[in-house]
Amino acid sequence: MSPVTSIILRQMRAPLIVIVTVFSIAILGMVLIPGIDDQGQVWRMDFFHALYFVSFTATTIGFGEIPYPLTDAQRLWALITIFFSVFGWFYAISKIVSLIQTPLFKKAVIHSNFKRSLGQINKKFYLICGYGETGQDLVDRLVKKSVNCVVIDNNHRAIEELEVQDYIFYVPGLEANATTPSQLLYAGLSHELCKGVIAVTNSDVSNLKIAITAKLLYPEKPVICRSEHTDFEENMRSFNTDHTVNPYDTFAHGFAMAMKSSALHLLNEWLTGVPDTSLSKPISFRQGHWILCGYGRLGQRIYSILRQFNHSVTIIDTITELKEEFYQNNPGVDSEFIIGTGTDAATLKQAGIENAVGIVAGSDNDSNNLSAIMTAQILNEDLLVVARQNEMMNKALFQASLADIIMHPSEIVARRIRTLLTNPLLIDFLEECYHQDNEWINITISRLSGSINEVIPHCWTNTLNQKESPAIHEALVMGRKIALKYILKNPVQRQEMICCMPLMMLRNGKRYLLPDEELILQPNDQILFCGISQAEHYISQCMHDIHTLNYVMSLKNSPDSLFGRYLLGSTKRKRRNND
Amino acid sequence: MNLEKVIFSFFMILALTLNFGFFYGDVHNPDHHNIYELYAVIVINLIATILKFGDRSQLGAMLLATSLVANVQLISAAIVWAVASHMQAAGVTEATMATIVSLSGGAVLANIISVILLVLESSYLRH
Repeated sequence: MSPVTSIILRQMRAPLIVIVTVFSIAILGMVLIPGIDDQGQVWRMDFFHALYFVSFTATTIGFGEIPYPLTDAQRLWALITIFFSVFGWFYAISKIVSLIQTPLFKKAVIHSNFKRSLGQINKKFYLICGYGETGQDLVDRLVKKSVNCVVIDNNHRAIEELEVQDYIFYVPGLEANATTPSQLLYAGLSHELCKGVIAVTNSDVSNLKIAITAKLLYPEKPVICRSEHTDFEENMRSFNTDHTVNPYDTFAHGFAMAMKSSALHLLNEWLTGVPDTSLSKPISFRQGHWILCGYGRLGQRIYSILRQFNHSVTIIDTITELKEEFYQNNPGVDSEFIIGTGTDAATLKQAGIENAVGIVAGSDNDSNNLSAIMTAQILNEDLLVVARQNEMMNKALFQASLADIIMHPSEIVARRIRTLLTNPLLIDFLEECYHQDNEWINITISRLSGSINEVIPHCWTNTLNQKESPAIHEALVMGRKIALKYILKNPVQRQEMICCMPLMMLRNGKRYLLPDEELILQPNDQILFCGISQAEHYISQCMHDIHTLNYVMSLKNSPDSLFGRYLLGSTKRKRRNND
Repeated sequence: MNLEKVIFSFFMILALTLNFGFFYGDVHNPDHHNIYELYAVIVINLIATILKFGDRSQLGAMLLATSLVANVQLISAAIVWAVASHMQAAGVTEATMATIVSLSGGAVLANIISVILLVLESSYLRH
């Protein structure tokens, strides 16, 4: 019995007994008190009629004095019946209503609903702890990739927010503290279809606790953690947390890519961006002077990258201790450290804004960042602006500010985790690209822009195994030679090629960048593609259907049905006999 | 002594005794089976059922099930009686009476199981 029914039944005991007692006494009275029928004879109501009379009287329906007008004695009893039974009836109803409104009952209903929807999940799912900006973004994208999620958050409003979201399928949400092991287990950690745990709460302490719980109880389940402090990150890695995502490190890595080559930055932006949104424009970095407003976790990382690429840097920050620490850690450095917010023209001029090539507004205060950008842009129009956006709600403001690079920690974490979950090969690919020379990258980006329609492309991985691509796998196992170019053909019109490009192939743990179209496929190859949204659909047709595969390879289709095969066999036999 | 236990056991045993009282007698002789007694059995059985609501133990579930069985049997007996006396020209015949009494006989069995379970539970409690 579910806790909800159990609570209702237990609470309804008293009102139900009151109703049964009142009814039984009323009915008995009606049966015992003699009445008079239409012929003037003494007539007693039997149990059947008495039950009927009391039922419609008690529920205030009141059909009247049926079947014969009541005598005065009966009317007196009816009066008593009315008062007691109507009272009993209302008592029961009010008890139910008040029961439904108690917080305990609501909680029981929510929990049992959650348990039911968890039981109905029949696909693998990820347990997402924390439904803040990162969590929302992540769930949104995962659902679009038809990956099931279960959300746990201790904030009531976050769960309410989840309930009103319009996802294409239901995402169960539990309002509970994910750092409590029992709650985490209840939320689905122990579920056999739980594919992994993703801890993206806004506190590193909570994420650490979630990672420990998950790794101790289910060491085989992957855990991905958000962490903003290096010591927590090291702690998480120490007990085999599969991935830790630090937004500042991830951004700094991307920034270093952009510094190295603007094409590499573009490649990164295009491949990891939100599909079907507009492409970002190339950014060119000029050698020169940079101003760094805010020397926190982000500022420190950017500083070391800027120095690595031999830019001169002036730092502006409000905290004096950071200045002392900076000079202690970097003795004899020529960078200037100015105490101030960087939002006023005087400080910016002192930092050399007129001759600067770029500014980084990297404090944890959105108003200060916006103010710094706007002042700086008035003083020097040619600046390259890197802005840190802390709150999702200020998105429109930062876009209007015309900053060239916007760094939004939640978005960066969500993007990184999304790629880790749905397309881990893409991370390997970008890593390989980082080590290639500029010429290679430029050629790749020009080839890429040829196969996408001016929007951010879709990236996906196809594995040539029995489960994901049965047709090709079967053909390959049977010994057929299939070149990569065939699956890039349009399955409706084989003369045309699909707008898509194979980026990388993984075979026996070895990576092949931009595989050649003449390459012969082997079973269990993993291929990373990128292209327009229909391309994924076209390729999957080829992967699943042997006839489509035969068509694109210009082979004859053999009949599949028993009758068809018989027909084909008999014509062949006839031909042989005639010969 | 627990007052709740007393009330609980009282209703369960009363349901059994009244039920037996109605059931006892010549199976098709209407004079041996009092309609008021059937009425009382139904009311007492309903109360006994409600008292068992919300008990999540295994024994509680068994007790509730036996009570529900008894209720189904007794209410069908009452419906048969009502249909026979009001909607049939022949009224309550001997055959109908036999049906009613045998239905209540089934309820007796269910109530006996109920009481046995009750006795078992109390004897376990003592150890």
